[in-house]
Amino acid sequence: MLAQCRNYCQKLAIFTLALLFAFRLQAQDTPTDSGATAAPDGGAAAASAKPDEAIYNKGKALWEGNCTTCHALSDEVVVGPGMYGILGRRDKAWLKPWIKNSQAVIASGDAYAVALYNKYNQTVMTSFAFNDEELDALIDYIAYESEVAMKQKDAPVADAGGATPGQVANTGASSGYFNLLLGILFFVLVLILAVLLLMISILSRFLNSKEDLAEEDKEVVNQRINLGSLFTSRPVLGGVALIFLLVILKGGWDSLVDVGVQQGYAPTQPIAFSHKLHAGEYQIDCGYCHTGVYKGKSAVIPSANICMNCHNQVKIGSPEIQKIYKAIENNRPIEWVRVHNLPDLAYFNHAQHTNVAGLACENCHGKIEEMEVVQQRAPLTMGWCINCHRQTVVEHAKDNAYYDRLLEYHGKMRGNEPMTVEQIGGLECSKCHY
Amino acid sequence: MKPYIVLLCLSIWVLAACQRDPNDPGTEFAPQMYLSKSYEPYTQTEAHKINPLGLNMREPAPNTVPRRRFDPVFESKDSTGKMIRRVDVMAYDIPRDDAGRELADKILFNPLPVNEVVLAEGKVLYERFCTACHGAEGKGDGKVAAKYKGVANLTGAAYANHSAGRIFHVITNGKGLMWPHGAQLNPDERWKVVHYVHKLMGKLPSSEDKVAPTPADTSKKTETGAQAAKKISKGNQS
Repeated sequence: MLAQCRNYCQKLAIFTLALLFAFRLQAQDTPTDSGATAAPDGGAAAASAKPDEAIYNKGKALWEGNCTTCHALSDEVVVGPGMYGILGRRDKAWLKPWIKNSQAVIASGDAYAVALYNKYNQTVMTSFAFNDEELDALIDYIAYESEVAMKQKDAPVADAGGATPGQVANTGASSGYFNLLLGILFFVLVLILAVLLLMISILSRFLNSKEDLAEEDKEVVNQRINLGSLFTSRPVLGGVALIFLLVILKGGWDSLVDVGVQQGYAPTQPIAFSHKLHAGEYQIDCGYCHTGVYKGKSAVIPSANICMNCHNQVKIGSPEIQKIYKAIENNRPIEWVRVHNLPDLAYFNHAQHTNVAGLACENCHGKIEEMEVVQQRAPLTMGWCINCHRQTVVEHAKDNAYYDRLLEYHGKMRGNEPMTVEQIGGLECSKCHY
Repeated sequence: MKPYIVLLCLSIWVLAACQRDPNDPGTEFAPQMYLSKSYEPYTQTEAHKINPLGLNMREPAPNTVPRRRFDPVFESKDSTGKMIRRVDVMAYDIPRDDAGRELADKILFNPLPVNEVVLAEGKVLYERFCTACHGAEGKGDGKVAAKYKGVANLTGAAYANHSAGRIFHVITNGKGLMWPHGAQLNPDERWKVVHYVHKLMGKLPSSEDKVAPTPADTSKKTETGAQAAKKISKGNQS
């Protein structure tokens, strides 16, 4: 009886150990940076009181409609100076004529205005014909919002993927609770394990010290698992041999079928360009860089001047971006590794598929906007091409009598089944091989 | 016993080898059938022996002017419904600087008619090339604008008086923070975008706007425009 009890304890202990192990793995998966939970102090009173709703909205509309191109609300310099602490630097009486016509203020010989003009590379600020009421609303809005913007900028969480600070703090807090719960569970499990091990050792010692233990029980108590005999047993060996044979067969078959198929090919590029960031997060259209994709056979790998449209400013210091600069300075092309390769014996034209058929890029390339490194998702085999040509229904130009009649006759001959690419010759050999 | 252990190790090794190296394109059957004999822009097995840098592609000769779409003629209806011909003034020698922009403002007009087709095409092109920074509504609130500070709010008062020629010049040559986009858009695509930008600004070219000259005085205006452009570019050179 006691021996059975000890046995159960042993099994429970193993189970607990397994659970603990699972927990450890889980803990590694969950993000542990609960340090970033410090929410910005929203309660602190702003030095400038929030203006009336009507004035605030008016100021906001004026600000967003006219100023954001050149000015930031924080202390950041965009084209002109940042707006933080503007009323500390200049008063309203000075600002109003400046906004209305900055050149007139400079011409009047105002020392501050002239210095400002020279500091920002003599860029002429656009004149705005606002009336006094509008100017008041605008300045009040800027005075209030610039402080809010500065606070957000200073808060450490403000950078987290563009999420508002409140949301970040919330998720941080809930993941903190989750981690706490996990910790408690972990502790309890360790405790149970310790108790079980203690019970096992006490019971074994007690049972062994007892004289009148049945032979059968003695065996149970002192049993050791013999791994060697387990591995050399017939069913295990037979199973291993069978698995080995199947793996070899499958591997051989796969490598034969895979000849000439580059699916899954994801080469390391000379510059660690992330499509996930550019096409995903910043939602830059594929055609912005791959300018040929709607016009010609090749989608075109962008030249460095297209990179420079943004990277004349963005992340200039990054070593990866510096590679583009170096390429331009040395007038050497960047040697990108081509991912999608069709053999020369097959003709493929991007424009025919994107512009004429209206297919989206992801039909063949997969979810590029989620790929850090671009991978060939489709097999690009002939069977794959043909399958699509068999299934895709052709949408003909609307309001075109020729196609209307074509569809009418097609309906008569084919019993109203839709017209696929196959039926307009999409499977003819010479369409792609010539 | 021993052969079994060897077998086990082998099968583990084979299983581990199933993970393909992402840098390996795999085996190709008879590659000489797959590779192009003729020069392709992006397929290359060995460095080109004559071209600079061993590239298959070559840069066009200096001072080459693309002849495609150089002087397209568009037809559109005037206010009375009569078809008129409008000649696109492709003044390639308008300089990139401020003076060139002022000149473009005066001498360039949008040769494309305003109609649903052109506006729809303009919208597609705008979404492809402009939305990332200027936002879908032109408010300068595109996703990239958060990183690339100083993107223009096209609907703002500062841009309300921008003529088609000025916008065309800015798309072609850039201005301030915006870099030139002439390499990414053909002239006629740019004119379509210009129409769509005017639509976003709430002012489509109407009878009040600078009306395109009739064919009779188009040539005259083209001439004066080209002459003025030449004068300015000469002034810059000297």
